[in-house]
Amino acid sequence: MMELLAGLEQTGFGTWVREAPTLWAYPTVLFLHTVGLGFLVGINVAIDLRLLGVARGLPLAPMARLFPLMWAGFWINALSGAALVVADATTKLTNPVFYVKMLFVGLGVANMALLKRRLFRDRTLLDVLPPTRQAQLVAISSLAIWICATTAGRLMGYLGPKSGLE
Amino acid sequence: MSETGLIPLGGPLQAFGEWLSGTWLNYVATHYVWVWPAMETIHFLALGLLVGTIGVLDLRLIGVARQLPLAPFQQLVPWGVAAFIVNILTGAVFFAGAPFQYIYNFAFQMKVLLILIAGVNILVFYAGGISRRIFMVAAGEPVPLAGRITGLVSLTVWIGVMYWGRMLTFYRPPWVVPPH
Repeated sequence: MMELLAGLEQTGFGTWVREAPTLWAYPTVLFLHTVGLGFLVGINVAIDLRLLGVARGLPLAPMARLFPLMWAGFWINALSGAALVVADATTKLTNPVFYVKMLFVGLGVANMALLKRRLFRDRTLLDVLPPTRQAQLVAISSLAIWICATTAGRLMGYLGPKSGLE
Repeated sequence: MSETGLIPLGGPLQAFGEWLSGTWLNYVATHYVWVWPAMETIHFLALGLLVGTIGVLDLRLIGVARQLPLAPFQQLVPWGVAAFIVNILTGAVFFAGAPFQYIYNFAFQMKVLLILIAGVNILVFYAGGISRRIFMVAAGEPVPLAGRITGLVSLTVWIGVMYWGRMLTFYRPPWVVPPH
């Protein structure tokens, strides 16, 4: 198993991301991962706050237009995240915190799909005030899940095996 | 570029950094292993909240989700301000913990410059009367050009802040020992 991970790390792509002496390699991938986080988590938080009753004057239905940007954030992070994992496979894939993070990202994406399919489908259910219990539940779980995913991501650098990559 | 970015060694900033190195905040930031990761986590969560509030307002200003009326966004602004304050405070812990990692760091200097530009943009938005006009924009209505420009500047500048924030450790002056 470790040979497989080491092989992944030593591929041309993995080596380039990790070792290329340019800001366009590892540092830029990290930056993209941060921007993706901003859009994915940020827009989720905006919708969650609205579902919980903040800025009630904002109609929820047009917020459906924000979903493509959230998905863009997700894909930017799936791709940049994959690059970061390949570059540092023997460390990242042996770190239990990484799998905790993946669990929360999976839950977050499932929650987003639920939000879109259930709440955003029926516009008469969507814009009722005060917010329905179901809407509040989805919003609170979304907030909790993304807080956990972000926290796990940060802690990967501090807990478990280390490779020296920042 | 010089190894100290845009700021030469010596002078009041160096004295400030040396003073900071002896403060209790420096001690807290460097002597408890959990403080740095905890502050980083909070810094990133508030980053998300800032994008989710000010970033979404910016997106509406530049034409995304036009069916959203602008007036209610005023209630999101305090959340964005709170997120910014949280990041100034958590950022202050990093700065006090390793002043010379930041003072003589080109990436940090650029980050501060961009935050100042964001501040000027906000000042123009509110004091220049743009806010009064754009918060009257109803669902489906186009945003006046000045508002669209403010939104674009804000979005670009905050993404730039994230860029230089991420570049920080790669521009660390070579003589600075990483704090964690």
